[in-house]
Amino acid sequence: MAENGSEMNYRLVPSTCVYCGTGCGVLLEVTGDRLSGTLPQKDHPVSKGALCIKGWSVHEFVYSERRLTKPMVRSGEVLVETDWEAALAAVADGLSAARDKHGPDSVGFFASARCTNEENYLLQKLARAVVGTNNVDHCARL
Amino acid sequence: MSDLKSIVREKLRDGADAFLCLKNEEGTVLPALITDADSPDLELVEVGDSRYPLGKILIDLLREYPDKRFAVLVRGCDERALVELSKLEQVDLERLVLVGVACSAEEAAACGCLRPYPSDIALGEKVEAAPGREVIDEVESLSDAERMAWWREQFSRCIKCYGCRNICPMCFCKDCALEEPHLVEPGVIPPDFPSFHIIRALDMTGRCIDCGLCEEACPAGIPLRSLYRKMQDIMEDKLEYRAGESAEERSPLSFLGSEQDIEKLEE
Amino acid sequence: MAENIGGDNGDEVRILAFLCNWCSYAGADLAGVSRFQYPTNVLDVRVMCTGTISPYFVIKAFQEGMDGVLIAGCHIGDCHYLKGNYMTAKRFGVLREALKFLGLEEGRLRLEWVSAAEGEKYAEVIRSFTEEVKALGPSPLRKRAKAGVEA
Repeated sequence: MAENGSEMNYRLVPSTCVYCGTGCGVLLEVTGDRLSGTLPQKDHPVSKGALCIKGWSVHEFVYSERRLTKPMVRSGEVLVETDWEAALAAVADGLSAARDKHGPDSVGFFASARCTNEENYLLQKLARAVVGTNNVDHCARL
Repeated sequence: MSDLKSIVREKLRDGADAFLCLKNEEGTVLPALITDADSPDLELVEVGDSRYPLGKILIDLLREYPDKRFAVLVRGCDERALVELSKLEQVDLERLVLVGVACSAEEAAACGCLRPYPSDIALGEKVEAAPGREVIDEVESLSDAERMAWWREQFSRCIKCYGCRNICPMCFCKDCALEEPHLVEPGVIPPDFPSFHIIRALDMTGRCIDCGLCEEACPAGIPLRSLYRKMQDIMEDKLEYRAGESAEERSPLSFLGSEQDIEKLEE
Repeated sequence: MAENIGGDNGDEVRILAFLCNWCSYAGADLAGVSRFQYPTNVLDVRVMCTGTISPYFVIKAFQEGMDGVLIAGCHIGDCHYLKGNYMTAKRFGVLREALKFLGLEEGRLRLEWVSAAEGEKYAEVIRSFTEEVKALGPSPLRKRAKAGVEA
């Protein structure tokens, strides 16, 4: 509930569902300063006002307590917060060690629907050109 | 007749704190809350041909801003939804100013509800429409076994997106029977016949105001509107009640009532 | 549970009866102590008032493999809670039509008013309802048989 006298704010922000490659049109509901819900975009050329259950709940992960918002590195049993520099170094060391010991095909890359085409292009480039494997797959196939 | 823009400005000057209507933003028609008579959004308002569950949005807005009054653009279906939601204590009509828009002849014919216009029309011309009976007539011409096979086939396409419930202006429960694991088994797609769809049909009985948003939102093209419309026909036939029509009379399924209420049932 | 109704024969129909505590359950009791014979295809569920029976319960009963559902309560005007059975009558009237529209035979759902003094009527209701459900056969809403679990 908003405090008395505070400015009212309710708006819908047209966006694209991030869960798979279909690209359904969603309207993200903002109430006050909070992302509060999702509606299907009725006149969207792809989804024509329909969504699947993932699209209907696309706003839910934003405030999820289980959402990772900072880089973490596992140290023994626990995850320790760190900076991107250290996190990426840990990834590079781990992947290089695995490739050097077991060969390039011991490594796999999973791309994400939440990334752009360009980012996913770069990921497969990293897999094929740098690591040397064709093990590339996508979260929407899991 | 005045246009929507001047009506919005007038209502905001006459004491409404905000106006909930639709605007056209770069070709996309979507709901908009206008709080200021000088808002640039005022240039974008239009009735549009996309319908959204404005009543459902208002439930949240009235709770979020408990000291505010809202004006709202209503078609016949939106008005019926607000009337029914008020009896179910989800919206306070005293805090609402309804600005009625009648559906055009084309819209009314394509959509086909009993009353494609609100009680007080500020925009558009009133036209009558004939509710589509094709699906109901087809189903009723079948035998019991054929009917069940027919509905099974329809419901077998369900991907359990919950869109019919999510878009429904009359669905506001925090705990939904459709998410009760003992009634609807989690993770089963399509959901078991008939649990999911009968539960929804029963919950819509005496409540559905025939806006048809469920059927528009269904990715599988299940004729949900005809199912719920039939439930309202049953309700009218058995208990002489049609949702959204009277601001005072409540659904007979929402109170125990008297012996008179059930006399017709015995027939 | 459900698969044991009506003896060991999996071909028997299964009926779930919701009985109100004050009238019909007592009526069933009277049928028992009076030694009125009636079929054993019925599983009773005692409820305080038929007005507490959500239509979901009926759906659930059919989902769980019942072939018929009986709701029996006090006669109109005799409800222990004065008005509970008005709600039963209204809900039932709507539910029966809804199920009919979806293709479930009307005869599988029955509402009866049976008082605590009507032991013979209770036995007769069970006899005629069982006959009717038997004539209809197994419910089309029975879940597809799970191997080795259900008939």
